[in-house]
Amino acid sequence: MTLIDLLDQAGLTGRGGAAFRTAIKVRAAAEHGATLIVNACDGEIGATKDAWVVENQLDGLLGGARLVAGDHPIRVAAHRGSRAAALLAAAGVDVLEVPARYVSSEESALISLANGGLARPMTKRAPFVAGGRDARGRRIPPTVVLNAETVWRIAQIAEHGPDWFRRQGTALEPGPRLVTLTGAVAAPHVIETAAGARLGDLFGAAGGLLDAGLVWVGGLAGVLIPAPEAARLLWSSTDLASYGGSIGSGVVWALDPAECPVAFVDHMLTYAAGESAGQCGPCMFGLPALAADWHDLAGARSGRAVDAADRLAARVALLPDRGACRYPDGIARFAASAARVLAGHLDQHARGTCPPVRTTRSLVNA
Amino acid sequence: MPEKTQPVTRAVPAGRTRIAVDRVACTGHGLCAQLLPASIALDEWGYPIVTDPEPATTDADVAIRFCPARALYARP
Amino acid sequence: MNELLWYLSRATGIASIVLLTTVLVLGVVTSGRRLPTGERATIVMAMHRWLSLGMVTFLIGHITTAIAETYVSIDWVSFLIPFTSAYARVWVGLGTLAVDILAAVMVTSLLRHRIPERAWRSIHWLSYAMWPLALAHGIALGTSAQPILRGITIACGAAGAAALAWRTTTTYADRDRRRVALAGEWS
Repeated sequence: MTLIDLLDQAGLTGRGGAAFRTAIKVRAAAEHGATLIVNACDGEIGATKDAWVVENQLDGLLGGARLVAGDHPIRVAAHRGSRAAALLAAAGVDVLEVPARYVSSEESALISLANGGLARPMTKRAPFVAGGRDARGRRIPPTVVLNAETVWRIAQIAEHGPDWFRRQGTALEPGPRLVTLTGAVAAPHVIETAAGARLGDLFGAAGGLLDAGLVWVGGLAGVLIPAPEAARLLWSSTDLASYGGSIGSGVVWALDPAECPVAFVDHMLTYAAGESAGQCGPCMFGLPALAADWHDLAGARSGRAVDAADRLAARVALLPDRGACRYPDGIARFAASAARVLAGHLDQHARGTCPPVRTTRSLVNA
Repeated sequence: MPEKTQPVTRAVPAGRTRIAVDRVACTGHGLCAQLLPASIALDEWGYPIVTDPEPATTDADVAIRFCPARALYARP
Repeated sequence: MNELLWYLSRATGIASIVLLTTVLVLGVVTSGRRLPTGERATIVMAMHRWLSLGMVTFLIGHITTAIAETYVSIDWVSFLIPFTSAYARVWVGLGTLAVDILAAVMVTSLLRHRIPERAWRSIHWLSYAMWPLALAHGIALGTSAQPILRGITIACGAAGAAALAWRTTTTYADRDRRRVALAGEWS
């Protein structure tokens, strides 16, 4: 059985957030003789699992990379100055140093950077695994980008077989997964688990929630979930879909109960607006407008709140699928989720109060 | 962050062209919305919203040729 | 007959510079501003394309009559290769150079969707060189006896210069926002 057959049977999907079927990517990479870029950037807010792979499974990671790329060049992308970059360089790996920008670790941004351009996403008329052109029309050779954890899993599947992989997780989302548990938990760290695990158990494995009332799943491209509901929820894209979310890049962050969640979302949307690559109109103008709408909503007195909420909803609807990458889609998902989950809290703001959002520790193992 | 992948899609109907916008190249001239009013609308900043991605080929060809930024293109 | 050709040559020449200047201004308007609706931009772009074809028609008339008439000596070679004409070598040469650039601009524009975008763009930028060459050619050669012709040509010069001045000083939101974003750290 070829590697591609093994990956196909195992049903491995990308661990970087998009969850694309890895067998398809690896097959296309082989067909086009693609250069491999391993994405070890932990680009999502709060994520540290790629660094964990570099620190703890470097042999597996490099072995998996060699299986995918064959004789073709391999580069591993990591943020400049990160521990992962240092470890990789020390191991003699060809490191692609990435600037500290949110969208710079996006797949096509890495490809652009690797080919002498800026670390900003490129328009994908066709997947870059077949080669393409950058914004100035220069040819880009066939390049495939795979997340670091995905590449490690490829090595594991090659060694232990697809059945071992499928024994963990769910039928739709098979295999072991890393999750970064962080924020207001007693022991934030990276845990190996699988889709279908109870979020309550994951909180327990991280020492329990520290009084957090809200859980943020999937980072800046993710969703907010009230902690009591989250504790009963299964960590899988199937189950998270009911909150508009998915597993994404495997980050679960318990929000600090001392910070007003509306203010937290305000900070995040303002940050998001500043992180636009500034290449596509709907993103470079839409995200600042969205942040301004949320700011209005947060400060609005009851009469104006409905207007602000409507404006926000309209703006959110106009972001998906209107940029060169999925960055605005993710921010829209996050903002929509926040508007839903924090509707009650926003009502309180409109009435001039800011209620505390806390839960009790007894919900840790509910 | 999720990648923008090309989903598997059905074939383009005869006599129609599946259009897409190169969002990086687009600087908001707005000709596409004028030439394909049933397929493209403009947002408040003048950038296209594709409401119908498969207009008639005769109309789509004109819009593709006329875009000053060469941002409108046909895709399979 | 020869006198008719001579007059036709100058008439078609004036028509050409007027149309070229109009096409230039329309192109500058397209590149220099963005409006929230596409109505005016579409009209401007359509006129830019169509008038450029009209200009080529008059230009062909201008060149063939200039070569055919025998009052001054200009042959087919100097239509393509600059500074080879027996008559007014330099001034005719500027016109020839402008025509050479125009040929490149026309061909690349007709083939725009088949060539790399930056090839089209860099050739199209040469239009900014083409126009002053044509203008200088027109002022030097075509207008001595008729002050009205000189007046028209100079008016074209003023209109084109005003458009270029506007283009170098104006800006629009998309361009500004892109420039601000580029100032960040991306490599």
